[in-house]
Amino acid sequence: MRAVVCLKQVIDPLTPATSLALDVQDMKIRVRAAAPPVINGFDEQGIEAALRLRETIRELEIVCIAASERFNTDVMKRALAVGADQLILVQDPSLDTWNSYPVAYALAAAIRQIGGADLVLCGRQGSDWDNGLVPYILADLLAMPLLTLAKRVNIADGKRVEIERVLADGSMTMEAALPAIVTVTSELGALRMPSVAARLTAARKQPRQIALADLGAGAPPALAPEVIDLAIPVTGRNCTFIEAADGPGAGVRLAETLLETGAVRLGMER
Amino acid sequence: MAGILIVAEVDAGVLRPEYWELATVARAVSASIPGGVSVAVIGADVAAAAQQAAGIGPDTLHVIDDERLANPWPEAHAAALIQLCGELSPQMVLAPRSILGAEIAARLAVRCGWPLLQDVVQIEATPDGGLQAVRPVSGGAVAATVRIGAGPWVVVPRPRAFAPAAASAVAEITPTRHAFAPPPFATACGTPQRVAVQGLSVDRAKIVVAGGGGLGGPEPFTLLREVAALVGGAVGASRVAVDSGWVQSTMQVGLTGKTIAPDLYIAVGISGAIQHLVGCSSSQVIVAVNSDPAAPIFGIANYGVVGDCKEVMTAFRDTLATRAAQAGRAV
Ligand SMILES: Cc1cc2nc3c(=O)[nH]c(=O)nc-3n(C[C@H](O)[C@H](O)[C@H](O)COP(=O)(O)OP(=O)(O)OC[C@H]3O[C@@H](n4cnc5c(N)ncnc54)[C@H](O)[C@@H]3O)c2cc1C
Repeated sequence: MRAVVCLKQVIDPLTPATSLALDVQDMKIRVRAAAPPVINGFDEQGIEAALRLRETIRELEIVCIAASERFNTDVMKRALAVGADQLILVQDPSLDTWNSYPVAYALAAAIRQIGGADLVLCGRQGSDWDNGLVPYILADLLAMPLLTLAKRVNIADGKRVEIERVLADGSMTMEAALPAIVTVTSELGALRMPSVAARLTAARKQPRQIALADLGAGAPPALAPEVIDLAIPVTGRNCTFIEAADGPGAGVRLAETLLETGAVRLGMER
Repeated sequence: MAGILIVAEVDAGVLRPEYWELATVARAVSASIPGGVSVAVIGADVAAAAQQAAGIGPDTLHVIDDERLANPWPEAHAAALIQLCGELSPQMVLAPRSILGAEIAARLAVRCGWPLLQDVVQIEATPDGGLQAVRPVSGGAVAATVRIGAGPWVVVPRPRAFAPAAASAVAEITPTRHAFAPPPFATACGTPQRVAVQGLSVDRAKIVVAGGGGLGGPEPFTLLREVAALVGGAVGASRVAVDSGWVQSTMQVGLTGKTIAPDLYIAVGISGAIQHLVGCSSSQVIVAVNSDPAAPIFGIANYGVVGDCKEVMTAFRDTLATRAAQAGRAV
């Protein structure tokens, strides 16, 4: 049985806005300092979901596939260090895009080339462009059922995938026959740390590089809106600091201030 | 051919609040999109919700009422919407950015090959028959302006980015009922397990008191609950508080939690990471309590207190409680 986990290399989402450089010529968001990229956090959780499945399904092969313009191989190799069997990097200049279609076409072609997958795991969305569209396109291209926002993933008798899907006010179980695509969300929990032994083994493993041209991915449709401007939004407010001798004093002052300004009204309707 | 089709999502028998915001967007662009404004109500036992939805005075109202649509089952709801779009050929579909709404919008867009404009905070029709919109990207750190040519389009506005439309007077409109005829389903779903929300839910409250990593554990949330009870508000949380298991994920505010814009947002022990701010920065008044004077949360706060959250909030609660008791005696 094979699980494919789709990975995206992204700018570290914790990069402060002041360190972002907006290239409004190419419509790209770049980082000023030489800060390394990261594997999209939700995709890491996809790896974690696969690793948990392998705890009971010993023969589960975990293949991670990423598609991008270029890679920081050391960063991407974290997938091998935590226990993925294979890492496939599909590289092409056309994949440096906010358009989800070329990326999904490349991933689908790579999945087909390795002989398909029983389960495809994706993060719920990329932390860079927040489109969250790749899993939907993949499901369409691979003609697989799609289950989204899983905080728990389980495979029953080798034939069905069951998930617990997060809702705004709870959760709900969902299931589909394999092969299927599942997206995971942060409630699933963080990716485990690699053991020292695993890290050493992984250091010897190399990712497999595939050129997009060798995949026969087909031409994606031109459906994405064009980005015509990028800007850092101005969200600042003038903060009035409540001054007081100590913490409790500040708490009292804060309550009085909010009551005076009418921001808080006591005994009001909800 | 329909012009604009608004997806009226029904959640536990009630229209989701985003519906009224979608109506505002529809009104803003309807002059440039011929064909009028239609509403799609999809669910089970949605007669009352459909009547409520008629309050915006749409040109037509379409209902798919079917037992199989009782649960927020994405595949079934998407099938119903795709079916309606096949029958109505809308130029623009407006869906709420709820968990279900965003999903069926994506499924519709991919299935029909229509461009998807997600998370838009501004939108206008362009003279060449296209659309131009602004949306946050990179967790809210950057605003991207995007443009797309001729429709049909699927548009998912950001919650609270548009003012809710008022219900106009009683609209007399007879809903067109459509029999649900989905293709075979490839997924199945169980009954939702809804967690009981203690007090008000964050996305409906006018005042939200939210706690983050600075609270250090689940106990101080009791203090926040007491404050929320006094001011008639709800308790929210950052992802750190949720991921640490201190509170339920239903309380999370931010990029992957709820997007809210209450009258008052009190952020306690929350650093103000961009992915959190994107969910609360439209609040009318923001108060930050944080021990670090350099915390980014102060950059978007109207009032700030530099101090220990327990000390500050205990005194805050006690002052409010005393004032409430005095007010009670005065009446
Ligand atoms: C793709 C993505 C999506 C995300 N989605 C969300 C989301 O939806 N919502 C969300 O909240 N986050 C989200 N995050 C996480 C976000 O980046 C931050 O990690 C998170 O918001 C930090 O939470 P925090 O500020 O509560 O905790 P911390 O970063 O731990 O900050 C704690 C704060 O408390 C202060 N503090 C410490 N002790 C005290 C004390 N005694 N009294 C007062 N103050 C104190 C500290 O100074 C600090 O500012 C997301 C991240 C990514 C990458």
